[in-house]
Amino acid sequence: MIDRSEVSWRRPSPLLLRVRRIEVAGVTVPLAIAGGLAGQVVSAATGIGIAAALVLAGVVAERFLARRVAAWGYAERKDDLMVRRGVLVRRLSVIPYGRMQFIDVTAGPLERSLGLATVRMHTAAAASDARIPGLDSAAAAALRDQLAALGEAQATGL
Amino acid sequence: MTTQSAPQGRPVLLAGEEGWHRLHPLSPFVRAGRQFMSLAVVLIGISVLNQHPVRGDIIVDLAVLGLALAGGFVSWLVTRWQIADGVLRIDTGLIRRDSRRIPLSQVQAVDVVQSGLARILGLAELQLRVAGADSARSGRLACLRRADAEELRRKLLALAAASPVAAPAAGPSRALFRVRAGRLFGAVLLTRSGATALVVVVATALTVQISGSATTVAPFLPIVLGAAGALWRQFNGEYGTTVTAAPDGMRLRSGLIQTTAETIRPGRIQAVRLVEPMIWRRFGWCRLEVDVAGSRERGENQSEGRRHRALIPVGSRADAEKMLAELMPSHPLPTRPAPSRSRRKAPFSYHFLAWTADDRYAVASRGRVCRQTTWVPLEKVQSIRWVQGPLQRQLGLATVHLDAAGKRVGARIQDRDNAEALEILGTLPDLARTARSRAGQPAAGGSA
Repeated sequence: MIDRSEVSWRRPSPLLLRVRRIEVAGVTVPLAIAGGLAGQVVSAATGIGIAAALVLAGVVAERFLARRVAAWGYAERKDDLMVRRGVLVRRLSVIPYGRMQFIDVTAGPLERSLGLATVRMHTAAAASDARIPGLDSAAAAALRDQLAALGEAQATGL
Repeated sequence: MTTQSAPQGRPVLLAGEEGWHRLHPLSPFVRAGRQFMSLAVVLIGISVLNQHPVRGDIIVDLAVLGLALAGGFVSWLVTRWQIADGVLRIDTGLIRRDSRRIPLSQVQAVDVVQSGLARILGLAELQLRVAGADSARSGRLACLRRADAEELRRKLLALAAASPVAAPAAGPSRALFRVRAGRLFGAVLLTRSGATALVVVVATALTVQISGSATTVAPFLPIVLGAAGALWRQFNGEYGTTVTAAPDGMRLRSGLIQTTAETIRPGRIQAVRLVEPMIWRRFGWCRLEVDVAGSRERGENQSEGRRHRALIPVGSRADAEKMLAELMPSHPLPTRPAPSRSRRKAPFSYHFLAWTADDRYAVASRGRVCRQTTWVPLEKVQSIRWVQGPLQRQLGLATVHLDAAGKRVGARIQDRDNAEALEILGTLPDLARTARSRAGQPAAGGSA
């Protein structure tokens, strides 16, 4: 029995929220401008209406961001790593260290500018999909090394 | 690790372990065979349907065929392979050299595939399956003489088995199953693709009837051909499926025109799936598939990229029971049904939702009209995922996925009571760890 509240979860950096906000703004603003301009063909009011609707959608999405970012968490247990995420569809993965095939650390330009990185764990199963976004670069590298060491120590065959 | 046994069998190919070997000189023809076949089909089709001259097209097609043959010949010239120190090495490529080393201890399965043309010429293609979704890591020797391919397959399996444990004792092989051709024909027609084909044919016939002229068939022709092709591929691929238990693994043979012989090494099965479509259940038929890590490379002659290998394309429940007992010492049946309130979330599949587990295998069944029961050996579980959608949260339900190696391979314990799902998530990792360490002991660490 796993009590979600009992496990001591480690969280991504609070800066991840900023990354997500910038991403949402980066999608919403150009979309709103483009939609507004396209609407001008019909009438000025239509254009303004479309732009306003798109901006509103962006603001609504932004409201959910905080909860989505807060939902991320990971816990290193004795033999496996637990990763949880999601608000609407909640997910909780258990990945034994011995099953990890390789570990990626990636950072996009936006993440890099804030000193963040994403750690991705790969097992032989394509569905495993375990990643932890928004980790401090140093913490991400440390986690990668630790997972790799644990994986090597506990590795088992397919 | 090196097992240099005395040269045996055909001296032409297998003498001198250290030396490099070439593929059979006729390989380019077999590899160009597909283009040749499609050209023949196109030519016949054109000349039958409309009688206007098509010389330009023929010249283009012949040029394409010629290029394929020339390319194949160059590729044959620069390809060579050798076995040394338990590693199969395949060097190929004229401009971009490609040298593959396949450690034989990592081989999951070895297949001998013969396309129709290869059978006429007495050739066969050898395919090695290695774990990982990436086919670039798998090995393919196309083509060898048939007897050589068989000999090499035996040798590779012996070398592969020699690395972690002692070579398996040569013992008699036992026949386990053989599909009945008539039943397979009926079963293929009664699947979804069969039903689709039937609808297409009826629609075409009706159109012709209503319009009263045969030319209205033309737009339907590609669909009819496609549907017939799908049926044919399934029938061709699974015709005469024979399963034998041999000391070096399960042997599978099948095929009407293109034959495939596979050997699945013991302990390399990632999941076992029993599929019972609605209409089949009425006849007491079912299908048993196994998943092995590592996708088979799709060659030019490999028209069907099957993800799952059917040990029993269609058989009775008794056949399936016998095979299950052969595959798994204990095969628990899914006995614990889902809570009744999951009917509101999954009204059409509620009746099939069940799971259970013992200390070696977990099994889960699901499906709407077609029941799918999946067994996963606990030692093969790669990760365990708990997923809860919004509707499930309302009802206090959750789904637990047991992922095995491969794409979309694994068991899904669907719509359980949330407390039970969390309990599964808490206990199964420990059970899986125990199973892993137990499986790892006799093989001294095993191999990936």
